[in-house]
Amino acid sequence: MSAAEVLSITTLTLRVGVVATLAILPFGVALAWLLARREFPGKPLVRALVALPMVLPPVAVGLGLLWLLGRRGPLAALWEALDTTLVFSWWAAALASAVVGFPLLTRACEQAFAAVDPRLEQVARSLGASPLRGFLRVTLPLARRGVLYGALLAFTRGIGEFGATALVAGILPGRTETLALGIYSRVLLGEDAAAAALCGVSFAIGLAALWIGERWLRRASP
Amino acid sequence: MSEPAHVVELSLARGSFRLELALAWDERVTVIFGPSGSGKSTLFEALLGLHPRSRARVRLGGTWLEQPPPGRRLPPEARRLGWVPQDPALFPHLSVERNLRFAKPAGPEADAALARAIEVLELRELLPRPVSQLSGGERQRIAIGRALASLPRALLLDEPLASLDLALRARVLRHLLRLRDELEIPILYITHDPDEALLVGERVVVLDAGRERASGPPAPVLWSRAVLPLSQALGLENVFEGSVTGCEPDACALLTAGGLRLVLPVPAAAGERICVGLRAQDVLLAAQAPGPVSARNVWEARVTHCQLEAPDAYVHLEVGPGRERLVAKLTASAAHKLGLQAGSRVHALVKAQAIHRVA
Repeated sequence: MSAAEVLSITTLTLRVGVVATLAILPFGVALAWLLARREFPGKPLVRALVALPMVLPPVAVGLGLLWLLGRRGPLAALWEALDTTLVFSWWAAALASAVVGFPLLTRACEQAFAAVDPRLEQVARSLGASPLRGFLRVTLPLARRGVLYGALLAFTRGIGEFGATALVAGILPGRTETLALGIYSRVLLGEDAAAAALCGVSFAIGLAALWIGERWLRRASP
Repeated sequence: MSEPAHVVELSLARGSFRLELALAWDERVTVIFGPSGSGKSTLFEALLGLHPRSRARVRLGGTWLEQPPPGRRLPPEARRLGWVPQDPALFPHLSVERNLRFAKPAGPEADAALARAIEVLELRELLPRPVSQLSGGERQRIAIGRALASLPRALLLDEPLASLDLALRARVLRHLLRLRDELEIPILYITHDPDEALLVGERVVVLDAGRERASGPPAPVLWSRAVLPLSQALGLENVFEGSVTGCEPDACALLTAGGLRLVLPVPAAAGERICVGLRAQDVLLAAQAPGPVSARNVWEARVTHCQLEAPDAYVHLEVGPGRERLVAKLTASAAHKLGLQAGSRVHALVKAQAIHRVA
């Protein structure tokens, strides 16, 4: 396996992870705030739905996504109209990463928001801040550790994702082959050295992510 | 007849607790007095618009903040009420200065308000500090300054002294009294301490279990038959405010605005303005001028009325040239033996040791 190949697999993996994390960040943060601060009917159901990808076999999640994105799924008309499909593209890999990372992000954010004294938000409002402004100037800065931590968890979980990704994106070298998929296919092909090299890259990325996370958390501590 | 300056009509339920109030008043400085759990803080939250399910008519500082449907209901951020919650709730991720500037609107008026708050509350040295390095009294003063810098139409102070020890209480109360005298906006002041109610308020509203028990000028209301059991349980006593005129090694003399001279053992500096408390049961009454006695305070007094709360009698007196209010608590039989009635002339005796500083 050439170095160029390793590099392309690595950049694809990082791209999938970053896109997935950035895409779910606003939704995860907003939903986590709702769960932490608002009472509404069906809240336990929403919580359960959010957590679902965490407890399902990733392959089952992948099958669900495949059906959702497929030409015969509920969104078939949309794909028809756009004359495109997400299945078996790196976008599908990013989507799979996003879905499995979302519960981790939301959980961490919800806990972080719940730990912020609601009194501070009320005081912010009494001082003329709209709910959104109060959130951006008080709640979010105070909860930033938890939000960063959740994003990091979602990112690392996303780039390691295998089952759902394999189903919905396939293992297409150069197009959807991320590190996890690459390791698997190299092992199947008996290319143990290549598999070990990709393992090494995964190890390095994981370590770097943990190190960066540790630094963030330390800097973000009040 | 013109409408009162301030109107608060409120009905809200929170679990099994109900708050039902219909208040209207003109005085600028109003104390909300009551035991914990009486609904004082909930009242503030409702005024701030933080209870979406309350039904209310609220007019404060000349503006309607809330009218029942189809009237308008201003959201909390549009009410411009300077709120200082019981826990000062400073923003822990911001410096003192950025806390103070959190709400500051642009413009010369707001600049002046901030500068004045910094001056009156003596906050200048604290500005660059992080909030984590502040004492309780400093936090309280900054929370007040933060509220004032938002150019509020009224100031809502929730137990500003409750979490402070006596020395800090004295410092912060001094600032509060100065603010009270210098500000022009209405002030609502929550407390469960009768001393503060007497010192701060022009009017007191007594809350008990979510209802108004009584309201009016602080001293008559707190000593009234309906409120006395409550205010006594919370430590009601006589309170005097004055300037220290001179000190001996073991005692100081205090002169009140009404010209009453008190001798007390509290260390204080000449010229200092202080507030002192004196319990009603520590006042001794004599029908005639006593000879030499150990009591350092002997005042001529006139009985205004006797309030019999068997087995006790509360004798209401006027003392000093300014006819200041003093209440003595005797046994009913002792009051009877002295033949006290409205208009009786007596001498009130108080040991210096019975007078203690409250601020």
